[in-house]
Amino acid sequence: MTKVLVPTVCPYCGAGCGFFVSVERGKAVGMEYMPGHPVSEGALCSKGNAALEFLRHQDRLTTPLRRRGEGFVRISWEEALGLIARGLGDVIRRNGPGGVAFLASSKCTNEENYLLQKLARLLGTPHVDNCARLCHAPSVVGLNRTLGAAGMTNPIPDIGSSKCIFIIGSNLAENHPVIARWVHRAHEDGAVVIVADPRETPTTWMADLFLQLTPGTDVALLSGMAHVIIAEGLIDGDYIARNTRGFEALRESVRSSSPERISEITGVPPDDIVRAARAYASSPASSILYSMGITQHSTGTDNVQAISNLALITGHLGRPGTGVMPLRGQNNVQGACDMGALAEFYPGYGRSDDPETIRRFSSAWGVPALPKGPGLTATEMICAAASGDIRAMYILGEDPANSDPCSQKVHQALEDLDLLVVQDIFMTATARLADVVLPGAVWAEKEGSFTNTERRVQWSSKAVDPPGEALSDLEIIAAVGRSLGIDLGSPDAASVLAEINRTVPQYAGITRERLGEGGLIWPCPDPHHPGTPILHSAGFKLADGRASIVPVRYRPAAEGPGREYPLLLTTGRVAVHHNAGSMTRRSPSLLRREPDLFVEINPADAFPLRIAGGDPVLVETPRGGAEALARLTDRVKRGVVFMPFHFPGTNRLTSEATDPEARIPEFKVSACRIVRRD
Amino acid sequence: MIRIDLRLCIGCLSCSNVCPSQNILRTETAEERRILWKRCREECDLCVEHCPARALSLVPFDEAVPEPEASFDLVACRICGRRYATEPMLRRVEASLPPSQNPEWVRACPTCRRITEAERATGEMVAGRLKRAPGWGGAE
Amino acid sequence: MAVYVDIRRCIGCRSCEVACERVHGGRGHVHVHFVGDSASVPILCHHCEEASCAAACFSGALHKEGSRTAFEVEKCTGCGLCSLACPFGVVWTEKIAHKCDLCEGRAEPTCVTTCPANALTTDFDLLSHRARSRAARAVATGGRR
Repeated sequence: MTKVLVPTVCPYCGAGCGFFVSVERGKAVGMEYMPGHPVSEGALCSKGNAALEFLRHQDRLTTPLRRRGEGFVRISWEEALGLIARGLGDVIRRNGPGGVAFLASSKCTNEENYLLQKLARLLGTPHVDNCARLCHAPSVVGLNRTLGAAGMTNPIPDIGSSKCIFIIGSNLAENHPVIARWVHRAHEDGAVVIVADPRETPTTWMADLFLQLTPGTDVALLSGMAHVIIAEGLIDGDYIARNTRGFEALRESVRSSSPERISEITGVPPDDIVRAARAYASSPASSILYSMGITQHSTGTDNVQAISNLALITGHLGRPGTGVMPLRGQNNVQGACDMGALAEFYPGYGRSDDPETIRRFSSAWGVPALPKGPGLTATEMICAAASGDIRAMYILGEDPANSDPCSQKVHQALEDLDLLVVQDIFMTATARLADVVLPGAVWAEKEGSFTNTERRVQWSSKAVDPPGEALSDLEIIAAVGRSLGIDLGSPDAASVLAEINRTVPQYAGITRERLGEGGLIWPCPDPHHPGTPILHSAGFKLADGRASIVPVRYRPAAEGPGREYPLLLTTGRVAVHHNAGSMTRRSPSLLRREPDLFVEINPADAFPLRIAGGDPVLVETPRGGAEALARLTDRVKRGVVFMPFHFPGTNRLTSEATDPEARIPEFKVSACRIVRRD
Repeated sequence: MIRIDLRLCIGCLSCSNVCPSQNILRTETAEERRILWKRCREECDLCVEHCPARALSLVPFDEAVPEPEASFDLVACRICGRRYATEPMLRRVEASLPPSQNPEWVRACPTCRRITEAERATGEMVAGRLKRAPGWGGAE
Repeated sequence: MAVYVDIRRCIGCRSCEVACERVHGGRGHVHVHFVGDSASVPILCHHCEEASCAAACFSGALHKEGSRTAFEVEKCTGCGLCSLACPFGVVWTEKIAHKCDLCEGRAEPTCVTTCPANALTTDFDLLSHRARSRAARAVATGGRR
């Protein structure tokens, strides 16, 4: 019996590991590893290993559905498309195209995201965004401003050549496990590993120096390090003079950030701040790896800029073993952003309020005009839905009812819409609120390109057909466009990629023919260009070629512990689950290993509350309450508690405060209280 | 039919597993294992052949002989208390070990054995990590 | 041959567990145990030279084949003596015995290929080499950074 091995890109995280789906008689019967993959070298984490479990889960959506009362009835594609066309048409007639908002999917392909933002903008609405808003929006905004490009500056294998790896606000051992092999390799080659996190995690196990800071104090820590580096003359004066602008302002702004003062704010001993600063600055090649612990704050953009500052004043950019590395969560959040499924950017990061960008795309898409941005962001769309400014939403592969903060408000807002269309693979909490549900395809059921956190574009091939009447998301978007009188071209991934080659400069040379094993790393400006693994080796793509050093001031998080809510809640992930859990909670191997929502409490906090390990407790914040099982552990310091957000409930609690620029919610810091439930 | 020397039976259930006619029944609770050898007319001798304790033999069918029964209290793991094996089986394992082995671990259940091994294997490393508690710098 | 664990590299992701289960029809032979909050390690079959599971096996189903502890399922009576004889608790009995087969028939044991942290290997010399390098480095840096 001939088994065909189809190369695919893992649908889970931004590491973008490859593996083969084994197909026999049209069915996915197994998986094989891909030893030649540049990042994973054949490895695959527990989520990837369980990927086939959700592929044919009985909950898969297989037909279009229409709401009837509290439930749904099956309808034909024709009827579904008709309902959508009529519904959107009504809203546009009454409220103008600005009454419609689109949420693109960081799990769908580049081609699908490109086509969705094109559909939105051709329809006349500027409101298109994706869940990057909830995770790396500060990186997109901050790094574009400071370095001129938003993405990991060096590829993952390059971490293996680093001599000092500073991991802050990232639990990569659980969330990007294959990166651990490169950290280990570097460590064994003599690298120093520094990890800053409020919580002890398998990532901190890798550390030579563990800085257990209080949640929300990252700018203070980074300013303290900058202070030491400047005071001890560890800056790279040459590099600063040639490549940057703004150093003096930074020097001034960190003048008072002495280790002693910073220690008071962060809870990190002054000696460790000094040690970390010295190690980072004086190693021949240092890299900074960061993720949600940096971005999911009301000061997220500042946090990112502070990181960028450290790299710029020490010259740790543009060379092997250096870099600023935002570790992006979703398999294609980088791609969704590159494809302009963002409120403030068109594909390729031309600003959506820039007349030249608008002119260029109007010309490319053959229309006289396009809406001027910035549109509403993902979080603002929800508020606008609640206030009535947005009357219809089209949501592709996203679950804001679970992923956004303050879940009750999100539910209410989505329910209040005149029309909610959700295109997804499962009946998520968001889909449950929809008027029309469209069944999409998972990674193995379609082909297209995905861009991982390294800016590496890889082609994933189709292994099996989607179940029932489900279609590839590309086909669905094209069909929706047709029913609205908008011609999006042929729903063939290779053709859409060809258009992307023409309209997105960074992807110009990333053609279908060239996307073999290993992929290509953008910018890739022409078909003979080998791609650009390391950014910024020859200056920065900003005015006069210089990076911007942007001084930032420490501001405390929006919410702090008080009398009524005396504990600090921070959220995060665990190794066997992924984000809102729609895929992993339907994978028995994974769910069995982490079946319930839990809250980590330090024993010193638990004892006075008479809480023992395993007790059901109620966690409450000013937003509401959620039930969880108590886990007593020293991983969190006194005063801090931790909950994973893979289960509904955690985001009922989280704060609505957002970063003023990037508009990312402050998931990482909420004030809470805990009581036993019995 | 089957005859069993109950003094030799270790309660391993091999005979029950191999019997093609389901003549050897067993029930198990958290604390006890019971075995019942029913009167049988078969002469297949699979049970005799596969009994590790050579406790079984075949004798002519006799209605008058009562069907033998055995019951074993399951031994509790010395670490977690879960009952996991019969005493004669544990004794037999202890007797079968190569002389170099210290058989203390036999009286722990498989799960606790794994946990013990995990603690042993990581002991030194954990001590290093704990010493290098928040803030303490040090390579291991 | 056996699968050796570089315990310093284990990150507790349980990929080895999930992968071993996947290729063995739903129940695997690797168990990752967490030690407090500070470490994790997979416990797996050591393919012991003096395999106590094979010594306890009455039927000869478990036996040494070169350096591997092999299992011939046709001979097994499901007595469970092997499970009780394994000091590491990695042999389990459900109707018959089940244990690590080093993924016979595959190029490399699945757990070794899949481990994201590259913590598992069949190359014992590699582990010794790493341990020696670590020790040398610790001496060179005075044990502190």
